[in-house]
Amino acid sequence: MTVGGVPLAAALAEYRPDAEIGPLPTPVDSDALLSTYHPDYLRGSVVTLAVGANAGGSCQRDLAELLQAEAFIDEADLAGIPVTDVDVLVVGGGGAGCAAALTAAEAGARVLLATKLRLGDSNTVMAEGGIQAAIEPEDSIQKHIQDTLRGGHHAGDPELVARMAEDGPDVLRWLIDLGMQFELTPNGDLRTRRGGGTSASRLVFCRDYTGLEMMRVLRESVTLHHNIEVWEQSPAVELLSNECGLACVGAVLASLVDGGLRIVRTRSVVLATGGLGRLHLNGFATSNHLGATGDGLVLAYRIGARLCELDSFQYHPTGLVFPSHLAGKLVTEGVRAAGALLLNGLGSRFVDELQPRDVVCAAILRECQEGRGIHIDDRRVGVWLDTPRLEQAEPGLLERQFPNLMSRTRGSGVDPRVQPLLVHPTLHYQNGGVVIDLDGASSVPGLFAVGEVAGGIHGRNRIMGNALLEIISFGRRAGRAATTTHDRGPKKVTVEHLNHMRRALTLAGLPMTRRTPMILPAYARGTPCTR
Amino acid sequence: MAADQKGDHERVPLTINGQAIDAKVGVTLVEAAWDARLPGITGVGCLEGVCGSCRVMLRRGKEITLGLACQTFVETGLEVIFLPPSSAPRHHYSISDFRDSWDIHARFHAIFPEASRCRHCHGCVTSCPKKIAVEDGVALAAAGRYREAGEVFLECVMCELCDGACPELIAPAHVGLFCRRVTAHFHLRPPNLVTRLEELRRKRLAGSKGESERE
Repeated sequence: MTVGGVPLAAALAEYRPDAEIGPLPTPVDSDALLSTYHPDYLRGSVVTLAVGANAGGSCQRDLAELLQAEAFIDEADLAGIPVTDVDVLVVGGGGAGCAAALTAAEAGARVLLATKLRLGDSNTVMAEGGIQAAIEPEDSIQKHIQDTLRGGHHAGDPELVARMAEDGPDVLRWLIDLGMQFELTPNGDLRTRRGGGTSASRLVFCRDYTGLEMMRVLRESVTLHHNIEVWEQSPAVELLSNECGLACVGAVLASLVDGGLRIVRTRSVVLATGGLGRLHLNGFATSNHLGATGDGLVLAYRIGARLCELDSFQYHPTGLVFPSHLAGKLVTEGVRAAGALLLNGLGSRFVDELQPRDVVCAAILRECQEGRGIHIDDRRVGVWLDTPRLEQAEPGLLERQFPNLMSRTRGSGVDPRVQPLLVHPTLHYQNGGVVIDLDGASSVPGLFAVGEVAGGIHGRNRIMGNALLEIISFGRRAGRAATTTHDRGPKKVTVEHLNHMRRALTLAGLPMTRRTPMILPAYARGTPCTR
Repeated sequence: MAADQKGDHERVPLTINGQAIDAKVGVTLVEAAWDARLPGITGVGCLEGVCGSCRVMLRRGKEITLGLACQTFVETGLEVIFLPPSSAPRHHYSISDFRDSWDIHARFHAIFPEASRCRHCHGCVTSCPKKIAVEDGVALAAAGRYREAGEVFLECVMCELCDGACPELIAPAHVGLFCRRVTAHFHLRPPNLVTRLEELRRKRLAGSKGESERE
């Protein structure tokens, strides 16, 4: 990243919340903006995959290294490991995993939910902005579909998008029945606001704690459900296949506590492992939780599942640059939806703040690269998110609507009510993922994928509030469908698919020195986590 | 990783899980544990204080407090213990079993019989990293004021430190969550959502009728 522009101290001294702001410059062509400044288009960041279901397709380089790598498990490892039999195995303890587990359990299945960290440690819990559902009279399911497809640059699958948008209102009903609260208007309607890139007011929210409120309700429901067993600190290190290596019949789980392995045999596996922000693609900071290392993509790819849009990631426009311990963490888009402006080092606006995220992100990167950013040191640069102006227009608004933002910055010496926030794009979301059908089923029999690990809905850019909708909509769909697979075929579980993969890697002349999935980022590993 | 470069020279001595380490100035306890390559630090999640996983016990001289490691900064002489995850819940209920809202008060006291036995020791309040008025929330719940009680627990991150601190085993975090849940479950019937759901139901009905006529 090139750095230049105004030093932080000078920019702060210059800043006035009531300064006159000139008109927005005429917008440039957004395609040109994206192809020049968006990280997806960085030269050398994309490679062509040599093996697997996507061979010949393009993929981000760091991710390709993980997909085309050696596994932790060998056939010999399977002997003598304790075996557990369940109907449905859900891998991942965020919102999508919980929704799938609850739905499968309600349908009578015995469910095991295995999660790498603690149940609920996920990106869901950090979601602040809200969940999209077309419920206002002037809005419609059709508009929601159009906004989602347009936001995704028409790379999304219209069928998947249509089902998700149609599910919206019923998803809210399901969540309310489980006991999730939302903001209301004085006459009892669900309060909505407009997210970036949408044509109607469609975001339903709970202050800026929407994800937390959702996650604690889901977590309690899962914990207290008699048909669901939860194993924490138990990452999946490999999937298991049938004798031909062509169907998924279980998984090998490792324990982060004692390093022991366990085999789980099941009728179906639901992957709900989330995203990969902790790979820090292209050197970016991330908004993601510690476990977001793309494990699900690796496991699915090795067993033969087709993936999509592996070269497309979302960089959220407003990640914090300062305070340091929150570097990369988000300021919700809700703040911009409420009216906060973005200003460069010269105190001018440079983009319509409610454009889709990729466009706003590219615009911020342009300002920083062309020397109109505000910089702390050689590495850290950003632009202002003008929160004091918002506070001045409506005193008390930040405390009332964004208590999470206020509580996170309290004690760090930055008060968003008087000092604008220094923000820079941060790696936020994996737009693509495992290719799924309307039931969340992957191209491998017995393997489902839901939530961020799945792809096809958001095309090449996700609009705000569709992630929380997707995890519940498709989590429930996959949970239902996973219970209908009755016969898992021959009793034998194997790692035959690994033999296929190893042969292909050898033929392609690729090194097999690295073992994946990553499980934890290197800086957080302490000791080797599995073996 | 997020530490300032200028802090590289100055070091802060402290102990984490019994191991003496030197940390960079200005880093959080999680970052300090990572930098020192301490084993077994797996109870870490969001790194921004909303998942409630990185629970720590802190000792400064004779004073002992609780907190979240990702939100606490290193201090000279601080003794830190990463706490194990809390044990399985002792309360059990399924919200789908609640059909009649008139008996909810009896239900609540059956599920959380300890809630009315608060001895006002403030253990829950002092242990809360989010500064929630936990004790007041429990009192409101025990008095049947679920909506108000739930509002008290808005910022609760379910770290369950208050559950561990309560000598009467009240499980305040779960009491708070129960209050929020029953409030939504029984009282949230937003007209805009209800109307749209009904519209969609009719459309589906008309659609399936159309299909059967065509057949």
